[in-house]
Amino acid sequence: MPSTNDQNFNDSKLIERLRDKKTCREAFGDVLKIYSEPLYWQIRRMVENHDDTNDILQNTFMKAWSSIEQFRGDAKLSTWLYKIAINESITFLNNKRKRNNISIDDESSMLINSIEADTYIDGDELKLQLRKAIAMLPEKQRLVFNMRYYDEMKYEQMSEILGTSVGALKASYHLAVKKIEQYFDNLD
Amino acid sequence: MKSQDILSEINHQSGMTVPDGFFDEFNKRMAENLPVQEWEKEQPVIMPRTFWQKVRPYVYMAAMFMGIWCMMKSFDMMRGDSPLPIEKNDQLVSAINNDAFFNDYFVPAVSETDIYDELYDEGFDPSMLDTTEID
Repeated sequence: MPSTNDQNFNDSKLIERLRDKKTCREAFGDVLKIYSEPLYWQIRRMVENHDDTNDILQNTFMKAWSSIEQFRGDAKLSTWLYKIAINESITFLNNKRKRNNISIDDESSMLINSIEADTYIDGDELKLQLRKAIAMLPEKQRLVFNMRYYDEMKYEQMSEILGTSVGALKASYHLAVKKIEQYFDNLD
Repeated sequence: MKSQDILSEINHQSGMTVPDGFFDEFNKRMAENLPVQEWEKEQPVIMPRTFWQKVRPYVYMAAMFMGIWCMMKSFDMMRGDSPLPIEKNDQLVSAINNDAFFNDYFVPAVSETDIYDELYDEGFDPSMLDTTEID
């Protein structure tokens, strides 16, 4: 996850190039190179399937490209892209739940099925169990835990992306960690 | 193992993988398939107007008025009561000055009596005539 001062400087130069119609397309190519991987992992942790992630990532960048004129550069480029990616992922999960007649309470079982069917894994059982434990969390806690634990994202940036106060995010992360510990305790 | 230690041991790794070269291929494919933005479409090149293009409408309009004027003049000349004076018509003037033409086409239409009456009215005296010249 690019978050250093250098990255901020590069971001502002990138935004300048994005706003110039002559360099916009070329600059968007650089956006793809910088953000396709972090966004991929963010989406993949939410939907737990490589092919679905591929589709959602494409939609994310298509939406970003089609609304590039509306991006004024007030927010960080990464914040804007993460927001689009998360909204696309949530919409995808809601549609999938509706298609399969699954209630919101059973979303965890839908995700666990996806985890078990996933073929692109390194085979580490402990990591697989952690993914299942995360899948048991409510949607918002799952998001917060993924961003904080895997991406090591700062609470301030999470707050900008999710529109939630830093205090609420800290509490949410703490609660998620407790639930995961409890999950592993129950396994023993 | 304590559950608190599990998160440390996993060390922020999800265990998920992607196919080899996935991101390079994705970025390439995505960049190629980005639709053309409105501003990227070719704008028609507007050439500067030449002097002729600027004055052309006025020239055409003037030509049209000239044409109408010529047409009306032609109709006017074709009218029977045209005010155009005979002396300005070279053809008519030469025809009148030509005695042969005058005698052949104009004189026979006037009776000799009328000519004598007109002469007498103007004070013509036949004795003044040089008869020798007639003979």
